[in-house]
Amino acid sequence: MAGERKAAGAEQDAFAREAMVHLDHLYRVGFHLAKHQDEAQELVQETFVRALAACDQFNPGTNMKAWLTKILHNLFFDRYHQRKRWISAEDVTEQESDYWERLPAENPGPESYVLQRELSTQITHGLRRIPEEFRAPVLLVDMGDFSYDEAAEILSCPIGTIRSRLSRGRKLMQQYLRPYIGSEQERSKRK
Amino acid sequence: MTCDEAQELITALVDHEALDLERSSLEAHLKECARCRFALEEERVLKQAIRGAGQGIRAPSELRDRILSDPRIFPGKSRPVARWQDYVWPIPHLARPAVAVALLLAIALPTFVLLKSRSEPIAIAALETYDLFLRGELPVRGTENSNEIVEQLTRAVGGHFHPMGYDLTAMDLRPVAGLVREIDGRKILVAIYQGKGGTIFCYTFLGSEADAPPNAARFFDASKKMNFYAFSSGGVNAVLHREGEVICILASEMPMEELLALAQSKAKPS
Repeated sequence: MAGERKAAGAEQDAFAREAMVHLDHLYRVGFHLAKHQDEAQELVQETFVRALAACDQFNPGTNMKAWLTKILHNLFFDRYHQRKRWISAEDVTEQESDYWERLPAENPGPESYVLQRELSTQITHGLRRIPEEFRAPVLLVDMGDFSYDEAAEILSCPIGTIRSRLSRGRKLMQQYLRPYIGSEQERSKRK
Repeated sequence: MTCDEAQELITALVDHEALDLERSSLEAHLKECARCRFALEEERVLKQAIRGAGQGIRAPSELRDRILSDPRIFPGKSRPVARWQDYVWPIPHLARPAVAVALLLAIALPTFVLLKSRSEPIAIAALETYDLFLRGELPVRGTENSNEIVEQLTRAVGGHFHPMGYDLTAMDLRPVAGLVREIDGRKILVAIYQGKGGTIFCYTFLGSEADAPPNAARFFDASKKMNFYAFSSGGVNAVLHREGEVICILASEMPMEELLALAQSKAKPS
């Protein structure tokens, strides 16, 4: 009996450690969904708790990253509708998306690095401004490297919806980032 | 096809998700429409920029620590508490303080001795160089000649083993410096790669898989029949694997899943 319990504990421990590999990815998604950094942390921690409680439902050999992301998104969705504590397009404050400014400014490096930080800041701002229905596909496909099929599974919607929302989401991002980003042609035109 | 109809297909094309039929009809439209060609290029640039911005965001170390110490996630850490209560519960109230002191002494003394004698795992200790280097506190002689780095490092260990000489140019990373570190009498060769793709440290030393930190996550690569151990320390991600008698650790601030994939792609089965 004690042996069985020990084996189950070891299995759960191994599962949790494997899940930890996806911590940065989960935080990245949570960071762009939650309103505050501490809420993003809470969201990710709770995702791990839920995942561990349901680890027997995970099929070994399948995509753990997608499985965890689905848990995180469902958790976010539940909480957003319950508490309205998360970001929506109408509910954005400038100071919430200052992660990049808060990063230590050690080794500022060449100008291109500084510009990259500015661009990254603006991308974070932009993502927090677009409606959640468009933001989630952009986060999953562009930041999470998920296929349309995987994103559709995570968001529980048809692939066609992913495609159209992604297209719309990127359009909104382009509009927001127009002063900061563009093709070589456009940048040279602006000069 | 109209430009409005092309818009969603452009998105799918950027993501390599367009069906063959869609691709061919879109390509025909693109040949004639400069505006949509421009939109395609713009969307590709945007996707890359968003991806790049995401890579710069990493979980804070306090979150990592909170998860690792959360008994709901790693219940092993809460077990001693449960057992302690189990043991004390049947003992009469009056006897509890005496039993508690005795148990504390019985537990604390060996623990103290163990803590004193147990040194930090070599894999964790080695990662200190990463932080020192980024802070400019690690004196290294830089060179752009990768052969020179390999020769210097190999000479430093009398030719007993060689540093892992990975070609990371595809990631826009080049070897910039090499150094030798000695921890607990064991020599560790460190090759440093830097470039637009970030910074990667490659540690090589003689050892076994037991050198992986005890809390590392183990992954078995069935195609290579090799184990890979993923762990983090001080905000740096690391992946350890063994090739014969040689241990290799790749360390970087890049996301763990990408570092793991890199280690798996570069590792050669013994």
